[in-house]
Amino acid sequence: MADKDEDTPQLSGVNAGDIDLSDETQDFRFLSNLSFSGTDLPKIPKRGEKDFEPHATSLQSSTLAASRAAMHSALSIPRIHPPKTHIMATYDPDTNMAYVDKIKSQHFQTIGKFFQGKEWLLPEEALFMLERGSLDVRWPVLRTADEDENDSNSLGVPMSLQGAYAAFIGMECGVGGKLTLEMYNVYAGLKRAGYVVLRSGSWNNERGALDFTNLAKLDAREATNKFWNFRIFAEIWEMLLTRKSDGGAERLALGPLITPGLYRTYDDIYRLLQIIPNHNRRSPPTFSLPADSSNPFHVTYHIYKPTGKFRKSAPGPPDYRVAVVNARETSVPTMAQLSDLLATTPYDPPSASSQLYQRLKHGSRNIILAIVDQGIPSYIRVADASFSDEKLYERQARGSRGKRGGFGRGRGRGRGRGR
Amino acid sequence: MADISVQEPFPISLIANRYLLFDVNIVTYARREHNICGVLIGTIPHLSQQNIFLGIPLELMPEEARLLVEKGHAYIVEDVESHKSGFLEMSREERLAFLQVMDKQGRETALSNKKKAEERSEKALQRKGLAGKAQESSPRVSETAELNTRAYTDADAETSLFDLPSGTASPIFSQNSIALEPYFITPTTSYPPLPIPPTTPTLSLPDVPRTYPLFAHLHSRGYFMTPGLRFGCHYTVYPGDPLRFHSHFLATGADWDEEFNLLDIVGGGRLGTGVKKAYLIGGADTSSKDSRSGGYSDVGDGVRAFSIEWAGL
Repeated sequence: MADKDEDTPQLSGVNAGDIDLSDETQDFRFLSNLSFSGTDLPKIPKRGEKDFEPHATSLQSSTLAASRAAMHSALSIPRIHPPKTHIMATYDPDTNMAYVDKIKSQHFQTIGKFFQGKEWLLPEEALFMLERGSLDVRWPVLRTADEDENDSNSLGVPMSLQGAYAAFIGMECGVGGKLTLEMYNVYAGLKRAGYVVLRSGSWNNERGALDFTNLAKLDAREATNKFWNFRIFAEIWEMLLTRKSDGGAERLALGPLITPGLYRTYDDIYRLLQIIPNHNRRSPPTFSLPADSSNPFHVTYHIYKPTGKFRKSAPGPPDYRVAVVNARETSVPTMAQLSDLLATTPYDPPSASSQLYQRLKHGSRNIILAIVDQGIPSYIRVADASFSDEKLYERQARGSRGKRGGFGRGRGRGRGRGR
Repeated sequence: MADISVQEPFPISLIANRYLLFDVNIVTYARREHNICGVLIGTIPHLSQQNIFLGIPLELMPEEARLLVEKGHAYIVEDVESHKSGFLEMSREERLAFLQVMDKQGRETALSNKKKAEERSEKALQRKGLAGKAQESSPRVSETAELNTRAYTDADAETSLFDLPSGTASPIFSQNSIALEPYFITPTTSYPPLPIPPTTPTLSLPDVPRTYPLFAHLHSRGYFMTPGLRFGCHYTVYPGDPLRFHSHFLATGADWDEEFNLLDIVGGGRLGTGVKKAYLIGGADTSSKDSRSGGYSDVGDGVRAFSIEWAGL
């Protein structure tokens, strides 16, 4: 069994495309294979080029030594700034941010904020720029009385990577005041993947604001749709023939649920059978928990797909919202926590043209939880699946409302049965 | 590679309650000598567009930090305080001295980079010489070769432009009349200018979760461990260095008398078998250590572990 495993590098039954290379530690010797220049797609090492277990052969140990040497040399790549691309920033201990006097890099299209003549970088922005070797952050100079502002020797000492972590993560009590290493892990990971990452607006508050976007718009659109619908006569006809589903408390208390009478469609009967009230996802959201800054679940970052049109002054609505969670300190969110978290995201219904399963998966509101376990983030998308909005008996009616009714039975069977 | 060694005990930085290593030699050394992998969380400079290979710093699990400290290989250093006092209140003399050191390093880097550029252009010239021989047979080749060299000489002209002191950009350095402007370097660690902190064990041992006995047990048997949330467990356990081996076990730690759902075994077992690993549950018998420890495990930590595999798949 073991020998067999050694010879089958790929996991059987798993497509190569499904494999997440960052799931496991990869051999650093393949780092040199990664090419990011030119038109070639980056060559990413194949998974499975590892051994099953050590068997103390010198071949194996020399391969391991080579891998470790490759790792060592990759990790020792220095951060050097040629004078041409040198960008210098100064650390500001009061805000725990850094400011750049002169910006000259396209990175600043997506990071930084211009304030009082300087470009200010948030802790995670400054730390990431320093870490990727694009920014030279200097410690502020302790000025003594006899020193001149314009002294030629007034340069601060360069901040080391270690110093940057100590400062931007460890001394974090300035603006926002809540950057944790987990948040930075997620930030850096997403930035490396190419996304534009901005802080959500709620960093200074105890909790995020309720999000009413799309709800008002939705109501207006529905009203106009109703008014200008071509099938307005069909609607009237339908209204005349449709049984009212609210038979009153008496019907629910005593039954029968379906009173004898004339039913033109099965929909009417199903509607009468629906006795459990359900949450209307289009109603404005409310919080169920009191405001509490110790609640670990709040939207941390807004994620934008990289497009040329992005402007940091007017970023617009984000593509994704991420809440960063520490795996070791936080457990699974309670229903109330989750619903409060989702209330701070906008109403985002699935597109009408997609399939039922896709619509359910998409949900009405959604959030991505980034769960960080000791530096390794896992992303989980949580959506409010609106089962009550996706009525199976209405499924067929979409697009051909006028012809509804009649032989609903035959259709229903056809769909429901076959497997 | 094997010659890289550091003096023990080595410092582990404690920043915002996380244990980090910044020295690449320590990272390599701990991996080689102590089977401690940690998780690389940093960005490798100039390879910052990918998430597969990450760099310094290395984040250690509290378990790993605790193990290293308990065995006397390492000690914990409060980084924030030392940086606050070391850099924010740095005296003028210290600052200038360190700037001078950095200046010297930058100059060396600039020099070596220049050398490399020269080597490159020399190679290009050599190629041109070869192309020159082939000129008669294929004029087109020589044309492109010439274009190439022109590009190279252009690049050279650019570098020589930088090499002139620009005067205002770095006033300190321009006083020296060397025609090479130093590069700026962001060091990885803060030692120097900070002195390597003393080894007095003032800080308490790292807080570890209750799965620590299992971790220590597996570590003592030569296994390598990394955080296991991705596979729904506490640790993924490797028989050797994860650089070269796939993991064998998905380990979940439990207390000795802890009750858990049978479904956990089913779930873990199915998942583990699905990714060609075995699910492993283990815990330490803390109640009657003396009587049991000898019987079950020769290490004497009272830990027993069970691996669960889906048979017949």
